[in-house]
Amino acid sequence: MIAWNQDAGRVGPKVADYLNKELASRELAEIDPEGFFSLSGVSVEDDIAQFPESKFYWCRGKSLVIFKSDIPRYEWYEFLSLVLDIAEKYCKVKEIYTVGGMVSPGAHTTPRLLLSVANSTEMKRMLRKYDLISDMDYETQDGQRPTFSSFLLWAAKRRNIAGASLWVPVPFYLLAVEDPGACKKVTEFFDRRFELNINFADMHDEITRQDRKIAQIRSQLPELDGYINKLENDLGLTVDESEKLVKEMEEWLRGGY
Amino acid sequence: MGFRLYKEPRLDNPVLIACWPGIGNIGIIAVDILRRMVGAEDLGEIESWDFFYPRRVLIRDGELKDLEFPSNKFYFKRTEKMDLLLFIGEEQPTDGTKAYAEGTKAYRMANLVLDVALKFGCRKVYTSGAAVAPIHHTARSRVWVVPNREDLIDEVKSYENTVLMSDIEGRDGQGNITGLNGLLLGVAKKRGLEAICVMGEIPIYIHGFPIPYPKGSKAVLEVLSTVLGIEVQMDEINALVQQSDREIESVYERLPSEIREQLDKLKYVAYARPNEPGPITEEDKKRILQEIDRLFKKEPGRD
Repeated sequence: MIAWNQDAGRVGPKVADYLNKELASRELAEIDPEGFFSLSGVSVEDDIAQFPESKFYWCRGKSLVIFKSDIPRYEWYEFLSLVLDIAEKYCKVKEIYTVGGMVSPGAHTTPRLLLSVANSTEMKRMLRKYDLISDMDYETQDGQRPTFSSFLLWAAKRRNIAGASLWVPVPFYLLAVEDPGACKKVTEFFDRRFELNINFADMHDEITRQDRKIAQIRSQLPELDGYINKLENDLGLTVDESEKLVKEMEEWLRGGY
Repeated sequence: MGFRLYKEPRLDNPVLIACWPGIGNIGIIAVDILRRMVGAEDLGEIESWDFFYPRRVLIRDGELKDLEFPSNKFYFKRTEKMDLLLFIGEEQPTDGTKAYAEGTKAYRMANLVLDVALKFGCRKVYTSGAAVAPIHHTARSRVWVVPNREDLIDEVKSYENTVLMSDIEGRDGQGNITGLNGLLLGVAKKRGLEAICVMGEIPIYIHGFPIPYPKGSKAVLEVLSTVLGIEVQMDEINALVQQSDREIESVYERLPSEIREQLDKLKYVAYARPNEPGPITEEDKKRILQEIDRLFKKEPGRD
């Protein structure tokens, strides 16, 4: 399972962290950042100095290896080749899954879906037994570029390694905070696919806490409630309304009003 | 990392004409027209994924069907006079912050292109690009030629409508050729290959804008056609020149008259002398470029 730290709603890294905690994973290997990242200094996020990290984790007794990494800035294909070398030669990996969040215009009360893009017909067929939306059509639009997960999936295909990208829609107003509901949806897939026997209690608690908080916000701020109501009824918001919802929701959920 | 050949034809000391995009896309338009006019066949490609981030993904019915990278393709053609190898790179490999290639990736790509050229017995290379010059857009572009060996000077002097760096006042034979169109000359020199860069002129007040300048391409095409002894139909490039002239003229007409008067001086003076007050001062130049920039930004439908 591969998670990129630069992810919409931080779904990938959150799922990786949760699985690592629940499965008591241990660090297995790491890719040195030299040559792949700009090492001209460090970035600071939430008051903490950051440094690029690309680590493999091994889950004892389970058929799962987790790779959590920043997306490199240079030498993309060389980086992906290294990831695949380690996965193939040292971990004997048979399937590769990338995990990512995608922006959804819907409300948080909408049941989460899990979308998949496979790198082969066989892989797509194998995934049929899981609760996945697997009929996506997509083509890169002008001004955009493919995701790094697509690049990885393609590189895996060149080595005949089966792979799939898993995408979970994250309501746009939860992108800056977190979406435990989206994380749970993805984690459930891995739990089922690899018989991990994950304990979801902490995740349930987190979802309940967030739902309660949002309900509180809705009762205290009728304007925001109106916006979410619109989304729940499949009605669009204006740019101003969307921006206000994002801003207020982030302040309330982060600030813990 | 490497290249992939679709076929391995027997070629007799082919000449390589290689090109990457640059200012006004002058070289690449010329080389691509040449490729189509001679009916060059596909020969192979450099594996782009080592150099570029993909630019397009195609997903159909939940399955990743294709990932598209900028292409870097080789072509070949046997002609009566000589055999040709052509290489056209759709993009210059960069680290994402610069427009032109430099450093390790550029050097690797230049060497790969020459690996293929040498494999087929090539001993001579032409690259192509743009020369930013103080000329007016109504003037015929000349072609600046830069060889990588002294003993090629006489040859390049014999081409019609060309100038050497030393012919250009104030340059004293000095200059730079940015990116792979220049670097290939150096790498060819290192590997013992003769190489010449042919650069079509583009007016100084146009070079900064993301528009092609086919007039410069036409000048390059004429030189390449002579050098290679190949008759190239000019209909297509002439049509492009006419269209481009119309577009540039429509912008030009909307320039304030004082700016236009300054630029009109370029019709009569080929090159400004740097040691004397030129027809256009540095201050004028700055004001003119700002004015044209403003006009291009207002142009509807322009990127």
